[in-house]
Amino acid sequence: MSDGKPSSTRRAFLQAIPAITAGLALPTSARAAPGKHHWAMLVDIRRCIGCQACTMACIMENAVPENSFRTIVSTYVVQQLTAGRTTAGTYMLPRLCNHCEDPACVPVCPVGATFKRDDGIVVVDGDRCVGCAYCVQACPYDARFINHATNKADKCTFCAHRVDAGLLPACVETCVGGARIFGDLNDPQGTLRRSLNAAKKNGDAIKVLKPEAGTRPNVFYIGLDDRFRGRVEGQAALWHPTSHGA
Amino acid sequence: MNPNIVEVVNVSREVAWLPWAVQYFFLIGLSVGAFLLSLTWYVLRWPAWKRVSRIALLGALTCGMTAPVALLSDLHQPGRFLNFYLYPNLDSWMAWGAFFIPLYLGGLVLYSWLALRPDLKRLANAGGRGAAVYRRLAYGGHDSLGAIRAATVFALGAAALVALYTGMEVMVVSARPLWNTPFLPVQFFLTAVAGAIGLVLVLDRGVGDGTAAMDAPLLRLLAAIQVLVLALGAAWLLLGMSGLSPRHAEALAQVAPSMAWRITAVWAAGSALATLWLAVRRPQWRLAAGLIALHSAWMMRWTVFIGGQGIPKTSAGYYSYTLPLGHEGLLGIVGTAGLWIAILILLISVLPWGGERRAGA
Ligand code: SF4
Ligand code: SF4
Repeated sequence: MSDGKPSSTRRAFLQAIPAITAGLALPTSARAAPGKHHWAMLVDIRRCIGCQACTMACIMENAVPENSFRTIVSTYVVQQLTAGRTTAGTYMLPRLCNHCEDPACVPVCPVGATFKRDDGIVVVDGDRCVGCAYCVQACPYDARFINHATNKADKCTFCAHRVDAGLLPACVETCVGGARIFGDLNDPQGTLRRSLNAAKKNGDAIKVLKPEAGTRPNVFYIGLDDRFRGRVEGQAALWHPTSHGA
Repeated sequence: MNPNIVEVVNVSREVAWLPWAVQYFFLIGLSVGAFLLSLTWYVLRWPAWKRVSRIALLGALTCGMTAPVALLSDLHQPGRFLNFYLYPNLDSWMAWGAFFIPLYLGGLVLYSWLALRPDLKRLANAGGRGAAVYRRLAYGGHDSLGAIRAATVFALGAAALVALYTGMEVMVVSARPLWNTPFLPVQFFLTAVAGAIGLVLVLDRGVGDGTAAMDAPLLRLLAAIQVLVLALGAAWLLLGMSGLSPRHAEALAQVAPSMAWRITAVWAAGSALATLWLAVRRPQWRLAAGLIALHSAWMMRWTVFIGGQGIPKTSAGYYSYTLPLGHEGLLGIVGTAGLWIAILILLISVLPWGGERRAGA
C-alpha cells in the first residue's frame, strides 16, 4: 500500500503485475473528477476457490445479521461434455453491490437516503432511511436487503469505513485466492488499473454483470461465463438460508 | 431451465415489501374506485345510482382511512415517516406518493362531508343524544352541489394522481420485468374499479338492502370491466408469446416455467370469466360476483408483489415464500382487515348508509 491508500490485494501486490500504459480502452472513470478517487473492484473468477472467506470476513466486519449477506460467492455445479465425456465442475461467482455508475437504487429512494459518494461508493444514510425497501426492489442484482437488526436498507459499502481509513475492504483483505482486486480507477499506477491493463493485454475479457440493465457496474469480472451474467438458468439453489427470527 | 447447471450456494432474498404493501395497494385502489362510483349520484345526480353512490362513499372512506396505516406498517422504520416530507427526493414516485395520499384523503373527506351534510341535518332534526353534534357537523345541512363539485375537482385530481403513482411506482422497477410493463398501471386501475364494484355489492348486502345494483347498471359496468381485464391479459400474453415486446417476453419467460405461476394465471382468468358470467347471466347472484371481483383485485396484487418478489434477479429458480404469522405476514392481512371493520362499524353507527328510508331510524 502506498500513501496510506488501498491500492492492491496482498496477492496482486506481491505478484507485481507489470505496469501498462494508462488510458487504454478500459472501463474508464466517467464521472469522478481528476484528483478524486473512483473506487472499483476487479474479480478474477479464475482465482476464486469458493472458500467463502470473503463472505465470512464481510459478516464479521460489518456485523451482518444471520442469514443476510452483503457479499456471497454463488456456487454452481456445471456439467458439460468434454471430449465425449460428461464432466462436472464447480463455478464460483463472487457477488456484491456493483457500486454502479448509474445505480438503479438511488433515484427511487424517496428520502434521498441512498446516494453515491464522490468517490463512487454507493451508500445508505442510516439516519435517514425509512426502510421502505424501494431500493431493494430497484437493484437489478439483488444486492440489497432489509437488515433485521437495524430495520434499514443494507448492502456492501466497499467497506467505506475501512477505505476512508486507508484500508482495503475486508473481503479483499481476506481473499484466499487473491481473486478480489480493489483500487482506484483514477490511479494509473494503482494495482486495479494495472491489473485491468494486464488483463487487457492478455486478451482476457473484462465483463460486468447484467450490462443490459444500464447501471454501468464498477465491479468488473475476468472469467465471467456468459451463462452467469444475468439471471442464471439452472436448477434452483440446493441451499437456502433458514428464515430469520420473528 | 438448463439441467446442466445446478446452483448449490446463493443468497435467497426475502420479500421486502410485505403483505402490508399488498393490503395498501388493495385498499387504496378500492378507495379510489369506490370514490369514482360515488360520483354518479353525488355529483352527476344520476337518479338510478343514488344508492350505489351512498354505499360506494362508505367503501371509499373505510378503505381510504385504512390504507395509510397499512402503508406505514410496511415501512421498516415507520417512526421516520416524517422524512418523506423533510427530505423528499422528487425523482422517486414513492416520494410523490407521500404527498398525493394526504391530498386524496383530504379531498375525499371534504367531498364526503359536503355530500353527507343533508343527512347530518336530518339526524340533527331527529333529535336524540347526538343531535347537537350532528347539527354542528351539518353546518347548515345544505345540499350544495356547487361546493360538492368544487371538492370533487380537487378529490378527483388527487385520486387520479394516486392511481397514477401507485401504478408508476411499481412499473418503473425495471429490475423486475413482471412489474416493468406499461400494462401494469392499467391493470391495477381496472381491477381496482372492479374490486370497488365488488365491495359495493358486498356492502350493499350487509349495510343496505341488497338491491342497490338493481336500479343502476352496476353489473353491466362490472361485466364491461371484466372484458377489459381479460382483453388486457390476453394482449399481455400475446405480446410475450409473440416476442413483439421484449419486456413482456422477458416477463413471461420468468414465470412460464413455473407450475404455480401457470395455475395462478388460469385462476385469475377463470375468476374474471366467472365474474363476467355471473354479472351478465346471474344478477341474483351478485353477491358472489362481488366477492369474486374483490378476491381478484386482492389476488392480482398479492401475485404481483409477493409472487413478483419470489423471482430472483440473479439466482436460478424461485425463492420460496411461506407466510409468516407475525408482523411480517399474516398480521398485516388480519390487522388491516380488523382496522377496516372497526372503521366500518364506526361509520355505520354514526351515519345512515342504507338509504334515506333508514335515515331517521
Ligand atoms: S448493485 Fe444494486 S445496490 Fe449496488 S449500486 Fe448497483 S443498483 Fe445500487
Ligand atoms: S429502504 Fe432506505 S435507502 Fe432504500 S429506498 Fe427506502 S429509504 Fe431509501
